Amino acid sequence: MDEPRPLVSLRGVSLGYSEAVLRDVDLTIRPGDLIGMAGPNGSGKTTLFRAILGLLPILNGSLERDCLLSDFGYVPQSTSLDAIFPLTAGELIEMGSYGRLRPYQRMPVEEKEKAKKSLDQVGLSHLAAKSFFSLSGGQRQRILIARALMVDPKILILDEPLSGVDQDSRTAITELLIKLNREDRLAIFFSSHDLEMVRTVADKILRVDKGKTWWEKEGPLSS
Amino acid sequence: MQTFLEILNPSFLLFPALLGSSVLGLVCPLVGAYLILRRTVFLGLTLPQIAGAGVAFAFWLHQMGLLSNMGGSERTIGMAGSLLFTFLGMGLLGYLEHRGKGLSEGRLAAAYSLAGALTILFIVFNPAGEVEILSLLKGEVIALSRTEIKILLGVFGSVLAGVLLFRREFLLASFDRDLAFLLKGGNLFWDIALYLLAGLSIAIGVIMAGPLLIFGFLVLPPLAARPLVRGMTSFLSLSSLLGVLMAFFGFYLSVRLDLPLGPTDVTVGCCLVFLAYGISRISSRSGAAVMVSIAATVLMSSCSARVTEAPVPEAKAIHAEQLWLAKVKNSTALSLLLPATNPLRSLAEMVGKISSDYRQSVMDLLRDSLKTELEQRGFRISLPEEKDARFVALPADTGAAVRVAREGKLSGLVFTSEIRRWEVEAQKFVRVLVEFKLIRIDDGAVLWERRIQRAVPTPSATNVGQASTDAVRAIVHDLFAG
Repeated sequence: MDEPRPLVSLRGVSLGYSEAVLRDVDLTIRPGDLIGMAGPNGSGKTTLFRAILGLLPILNGSLERDCLLSDFGYVPQSTSLDAIFPLTAGELIEMGSYGRLRPYQRMPVEEKEKAKKSLDQVGLSHLAAKSFFSLSGGQRQRILIARALMVDPKILILDEPLSGVDQDSRTAITELLIKLNREDRLAIFFSSHDLEMVRTVADKILRVDKGKTWWEKEGPLSS
Repeated sequence: MQTFLEILNPSFLLFPALLGSSVLGLVCPLVGAYLILRRTVFLGLTLPQIAGAGVAFAFWLHQMGLLSNMGGSERTIGMAGSLLFTFLGMGLLGYLEHRGKGLSEGRLAAAYSLAGALTILFIVFNPAGEVEILSLLKGEVIALSRTEIKILLGVFGSVLAGVLLFRREFLLASFDRDLAFLLKGGNLFWDIALYLLAGLSIAIGVIMAGPLLIFGFLVLPPLAARPLVRGMTSFLSLSSLLGVLMAFFGFYLSVRLDLPLGPTDVTVGCCLVFLAYGISRISSRSGAAVMVSIAATVLMSSCSARVTEAPVPEAKAIHAEQLWLAKVKNSTALSLLLPATNPLRSLAEMVGKISSDYRQSVMDLLRDSLKTELEQRGFRISLPEEKDARFVALPADTGAAVRVAREGKLSGLVFTSEIRRWEVEAQKFVRVLVEFKLIRIDDGAVLWERRIQRAVPTPSATNVGQASTDAVRAIVHDLFAG
């Protein structure tokens, strides 16, 4: 059977800021992929995500996307969001629809329904009116996943979704990711510094360390 | 004394000022909310200061004759300077921020200090009109004309529309810049739009209300609202509501207690912040309800808190006819002489009642008016200096007044008046503090007394002398009408 066209492909990509953090990255994400990226803190996982999302220009190589930037559902680490903002979980999820709304447009009923459905998907519909920053780490991550689902994504990108999350929430989140991938054929690319967790969830595992990337079955490339 | 209901009446003379103040209270917190959430609150402090420097700069140029062909009122010139400096300052700060060198707070602190220093220097350079410039920089909303109110409504109406229409874009660009990039393609446009709205509000607001009040309206209502809400919609709504409450209570207290509006509003705003943090310990939802309930209770009690002052009694009511009308004592540091252009003086000169070197004072005007009204109340008025030329003005202090009256061999009743404050501001109103007493000399009993402390509106006055004349008329009307 023919493989579907890649949604994202990176060939020999170097990326970083003033100097390269990661070199020679080869990566292909296709519809239905469930890819985990494992590596220690500071190894460049977030840098790779930012390059894929167009937030950081690549230094070398080629990066191709067969989808719009608005087709990415991005789940940042909840700790990267500023708690000074007064936001309910419902308001935060509605942000996922902002790309489809004109500036002066009232939020249509169908978007509200969609937000409700996204909350149902992550099993937190009872928390819509709660303050986002008053929720537990796990609940916050699931709300952020619901926001990403609200975008109608082709790819879900999650930056350390299990960081600072209790065991019950870890289970709930990993089950949710598997369900979204298996049932909705959603391409998922997530990162974690917990290799065992990545092995449990992902079909393919990209290892990142010391400026290099390699697929787990292949072992690190010699420089 | 004005009650809330009187102040809310559009026919109330200071209603335009209340309207202007409320518009600022409604809109500024919406802009300030984003400054706080973006952690750029010091920008809200620095920009008004820069705008103030622009006002002083424009006046200096005007004084040097460099803007003589520009036309327009003083406020128009100040507004041009304020806008120019605000947007130049924003551009420069934005450029330095983009370069990313140095501390953001350090740049803002340096800009604030520089703007403050330049404001003072521009005022010092300007040999004339220092008082006017200081008055404009103080930003007396109370002196706004109807035309200026229309400008204010136009500008802040546009800012309000911008903040409401683009609320989602501003929120996204402020809260999650990565998601904003993915969904909207970038943040630069929305950053510029937000700062343009902030700059416009600050530049126009400073010339209308002064840097202090604008910074207060930008920051205090959102700070008070923040601990009481969970969501962004309720945060913006409550910020605006508290801004309007701050404007109303501040205005009411300012008029009622004769306090300067800017500091009064800011003090009320600070009280709201303390109250909000106290109430927030209950819970955010019930806290907001308690906050609004307290405000409503104070409002209701203020509406019903009309204090009726007793008018000067009729002569027959106190069984006396003979009344000594003492000279009005001037306890201000000012001479309170009316300008030579005073038409009343010219008339008196024409009919030969006064010599051409005599200059009438506020005290003379007040005493003449009192005499006329007291005679209509059935009193036979005598002047102490006609009995003994050594008589000077009697103080309002009962003991001192009685002692002097007895030493001068007066008996019966004496009417004393003392002016403690008389400041004509922009010819639109006169801030007064005057005390009156009707004293029985024999036993030192005070039969009636009244203290008038307020800003007396003089909207139709075309010069300082006429403003004082109108104020005297209004005060005497107050005394005798109750």
